Amino acid sequence: MRNKILMFWAIVAITLVSIGFIVAKPAKLGLDLVGGSRLILEAETTNTIAKITPEVMQRLQFAIENRVNKLGVAETVVQQVGDKRLLIEIPNVTDLKEAKAFIGDTAQLEFKKEGKAPDGTPIWISTGLTGQDLSRSTLTTDQTGQWVVGLEFNAAGAKKFADLTKELTGQQMAIFFDNELQSAPRVNEAIYGGKAQISGGESGFAYDEAERMVNLLNAGALPVPAKVVEENTVGPTLGADSIAKSQFAGMIGLGLVMLFMIAYYRLPGLIACIALIIYSLILFALFKIIPVTLTLAGIAGFILSIGMAVDANILIFERTKEELRAGRNLFTAINSGFDRAFTSIFDSNMTTIITCAILYFLGSSIVKGFALTLALGVLVSMFSAITITKNFMHLIFGTGDLKYPALFGLRKDEIGAGFSATETTRENARFGILD
Amino acid sequence: MANKASKHFIHIVKYRWLWMALSVLLLLPGIVAIIYASAVNPDHIPLKVGIDYTGGTILQYGVTQKVTNEDLAKTRADLQGIGIENPYLQILNVNTSQQDKTKENIQAIISIRTKFIEKESHTPDDIMAVLQKDYEGPELIQVSSVGPTMGKELFKNSLIAITLAFLGIVAYLSFRFKFDYALAAFLGIIHDVLFVIGIFAILGIFFNVQVDGLFMTAILTVIGFSVHDTIVVFDRIRENLRYYSKKMTFGEIVDASVNQTFARSINTSLTVLLTLGALYLFGGVTTKDFVLAMLLGIAIGTYSSIFFCSMLIEFWNDKPATQTAA
Repeated sequence: MRNKILMFWAIVAITLVSIGFIVAKPAKLGLDLVGGSRLILEAETTNTIAKITPEVMQRLQFAIENRVNKLGVAETVVQQVGDKRLLIEIPNVTDLKEAKAFIGDTAQLEFKKEGKAPDGTPIWISTGLTGQDLSRSTLTTDQTGQWVVGLEFNAAGAKKFADLTKELTGQQMAIFFDNELQSAPRVNEAIYGGKAQISGGESGFAYDEAERMVNLLNAGALPVPAKVVEENTVGPTLGADSIAKSQFAGMIGLGLVMLFMIAYYRLPGLIACIALIIYSLILFALFKIIPVTLTLAGIAGFILSIGMAVDANILIFERTKEELRAGRNLFTAINSGFDRAFTSIFDSNMTTIITCAILYFLGSSIVKGFALTLALGVLVSMFSAITITKNFMHLIFGTGDLKYPALFGLRKDEIGAGFSATETTRENARFGILD
Repeated sequence: MANKASKHFIHIVKYRWLWMALSVLLLLPGIVAIIYASAVNPDHIPLKVGIDYTGGTILQYGVTQKVTNEDLAKTRADLQGIGIENPYLQILNVNTSQQDKTKENIQAIISIRTKFIEKESHTPDDIMAVLQKDYEGPELIQVSSVGPTMGKELFKNSLIAITLAFLGIVAYLSFRFKFDYALAAFLGIIHDVLFVIGIFAILGIFFNVQVDGLFMTAILTVIGFSVHDTIVVFDRIRENLRYYSKKMTFGEIVDASVNQTFARSINTSLTVLLTLGALYLFGGVTTKDFVLAMLLGIAIGTYSSIFFCSMLIEFWNDKPATQTAA
């Protein structure tokens, strides 16, 4: 019994901590629900690209989309407006200025070699090996513990790099990022593996600096420079009017679910409702701690996870009732309700989590938001529907002689003689009475 | 408890052909609509797609008053009234450069995103008429075409992710149950998704209902629920097989299992449908179709897990089970 009471206070503590987080931290809501900033970006021509063609715009949009995703904000909108502009909508980010700089950075990576200008002064000249030859970039440390940017070339890039290092053996090779010299190592031998590192020169990279470069390299360079020409704050895409109504409707829906649970399952139903409220509190606290930017897709994931949490309790209670009808005594019935429902709860939740993991790592932004909230919801529901409900059931039905079948929504004649039968010692032990 | 076959409420085995026929009946109209729409629609897509997929036009109007939520709701209804389908309405604040460029001292900007507006069409005039009725001093300050937010690339990536998720589901269920259970659950998903897409194809043909970016999310929800629901029934079959496989045929076990989980199946769906029903009836206009897709999907998901999926594994396992029983 002591364990059960300890568990009860642990649940109370978790609930209070969750409420604390919910009150203390602001919610992050998506563009579709609260709006954010609308930026208009205009592509600019360069010496090499004199005309902004639809093809250039497509590449620009792709690169910008990648970068916006790297900002870590959910469900951004990037779309082409007119011939040479992009409209970007991002939810309220903490530092819009930083976000703008990140989005607009051209991120040109270039490898250069020593050469001479016509007048004889030494300069760096292009080698044709650029960021376009990369397959990906990673953030790592070198032997001395300094942060370095790891580069992995694609097949063509690896060949170019091997040829170049062969040609430059004994000479310096310079790495430029956005026309700024990062480092100029001396090439000792030809490098065939298709891998390279950029160290931050003598002073080395700060972590933030290296991380930003890795993110930019992975997102890809912009084919042409682009600058922000207009900036507005903007209301939610789903319409503020619609959202207010849906909030109200959601409350009605949840209220109905609780009424149904109590009407149908009686006392266990009430316990499930309390567990459900605690579940929502924990989940919302998690959303704020991680933090998760909540969008409508995310809320759909949340609704589905509530459905699954309620389902877990329904499974348990149906099973308990079934066991009661079959003549088991109260303790056995409650325990086998939990035990036997567990495999189906476990298997269905595992399937959901596997699905969510795949969707999260491979899907686009809409799919990601959905997968994240659903996976979190399912994980928390394993705790709430099983641990919390079980604890409450044990505390309430384990203390006294609650022998009214109506509490389970059953009639007296439905229940076999086993209902009032004495419990076996083993059952009592499992129930925590002998503790 | 499991051997009182006569007291069963639902008979999967006995009416196997009926359930098969019912599934066909439920899916057929949708499949016909999908084929018809794919043939007729310009891009050969079974659904009418909204501006999230196709792009459209953004019109920005400055007004000399503050705009409230009620104003937006009214304007949305008025615009639908003059035949502008599913407009995206947003309120923008005014920055100084925009204030300089306009004639009046505008207080807010209303951004209307809708399908492509031809240059010669009178749609801008119609919209202006609506806005003049609803607001003080509306002024058109910008018109531009916009590309899709759910472009082909993004859509393709999502489909690839979903396909891989399917494989993950089949692999896990094959491991925990058996391959034929996994296959039945997979066909159950296809059954449910096909039904929802079919209904929206029909709605597209007859009521010009368009799907937006959220439709993808609704389909994901339907898939999630469909598998979840099916697993609960299968879990019971697995459990009963362990205890009764010597005494009962496979068909009897399926029947018993479906009946034992029936109350739970109905109650679970009911709770989800209660929430979605409230959202559909009282919720915002912009998410109505999204909620409808989920409502339909969860209703059919419940049907398929009870009747379709269990019928399939019973059908496949019919022979070996009778042999062992004999």
